[in-house]
Amino acid sequence: MTDSAVPISDLDLFDDPVLVDPYPSYAALRGLGGVVHLPANDVYVLTRYDVIRNALGDWESFSSEGAIGFNPMVNEALTGTSLASDPPVHTQLRATLTANLSPRALRGLKDSIDAKADALVEELVNKGSFEAIDGLARALPLEVVADLIGFTGQVRDSMLRWGQAAMQVIGPMNQRTAESFPIAGELYAWCSTVTAEDLAPGSVGRGVFEAEARGDIPPNTAGHIIHQYLGAGVDTTIASIGNIVALFAAHPEQLALVRENPSLVPAAFNEVLRYWAPLHAWGRRATRDVEVDGVVVPQGAKVAILFGAGNRDPRHYEDPDAFLVERNPIDHLSFGYGPHGCAGQGLARLEAHAVIEALARRVGRLVVGPEVRVPSNITRSIEELPILEVAPA
Amino acid sequence: MRIVLDRPRCEGHGLCEEAAPDLMHLDDDGELVLDREEISDADSALANAAVRVCPVAALRLV
Repeated sequence: MTDSAVPISDLDLFDDPVLVDPYPSYAALRGLGGVVHLPANDVYVLTRYDVIRNALGDWESFSSEGAIGFNPMVNEALTGTSLASDPPVHTQLRATLTANLSPRALRGLKDSIDAKADALVEELVNKGSFEAIDGLARALPLEVVADLIGFTGQVRDSMLRWGQAAMQVIGPMNQRTAESFPIAGELYAWCSTVTAEDLAPGSVGRGVFEAEARGDIPPNTAGHIIHQYLGAGVDTTIASIGNIVALFAAHPEQLALVRENPSLVPAAFNEVLRYWAPLHAWGRRATRDVEVDGVVVPQGAKVAILFGAGNRDPRHYEDPDAFLVERNPIDHLSFGYGPHGCAGQGLARLEAHAVIEALARRVGRLVVGPEVRVPSNITRSIEELPILEVAPA
Repeated sequence: MRIVLDRPRCEGHGLCEEAAPDLMHLDDDGELVLDREEISDADSALANAAVRVCPVAALRLV
């Protein structure tokens, strides 16, 4: 045990400028310690790579139950999901969620996702100038997830708003959260009433209902699973794909490396995820007094995991502020790690790899205008990214 | 040293196979097969890498 005091910072984790560019704040917090107390948010933030990775693997000390979000309402709403539960309950819920989402279940989708991504990129390259977030970063995941779940018509149009709101409400009870709760509520209400017949025959979504009807998964869980596919799988993937385009626009020499050696595609996606984490902060609760990096996080404390801070920790990655596709940081923290590691990472990889392959094949260089960023509680993404000119490969 | 797989936890992400293709592979159904469970000193670095990259912590060395 140790009697060293936990370092304190007056930073507000959800202040607009911090949300738009958290990296200077992450560096300052990392400098203070592996864990830092932020009275403004009543949280203990985890900032260094090893501390975060250990906490993600240690669900017995860092519980997810009622602790993922940063306001009581959202934690109440998430009760009973795999996201917000601990083993052993978590184990069954997770298996139900991932039965249709694991790489082995998704293998059949690879060709169609590759074709969708390539067609989108080809069309945009032919246009010569376009807005990359709507045109690509949103277009691909919305199409992929809609087809996966079997959405049709009007519901498809709501997916973007619903997905954004579902992440936004995980933040503290600020104006963004308050404005997003009614929209997140629409998603929840729709998922509570959707039936198998609403979803396209042969889709994964329809399959979840058929599994429920067969008794393979517990009664009344199909709607919850659809809810999690949408809540977790849309906004985050959109952020990643937007980041792919922006980072390759800013680093054409890195895109050239992938073009010369396409086996670098998975490494390039790992580096995009490491360099810009799609998620800013994610909650846990300390179940006991836990010693972390020489100080004690008190029992009951609210903990915030800063994935992006760990991903830039110079104690773990050499030259962490450089974007280098050959680095292949396969152990980056952006998908989390351990029992709660991103359940949809197989699908995210399929989509992102398809985009990187298509860009490397078709694009030599992108000339971009200024990117627009809007502060958002949890997902850090680019709102608009004008592509002014495309030099073909 | 032995490598141990927590089978229910494994989701078949396949990153371990990329790290240590001589020690394990995904079969045609996407299920992980450990080709060598007893790990020699010569293979311990590879085995460690495979354990480390598992995104859901389904592998460990004992």
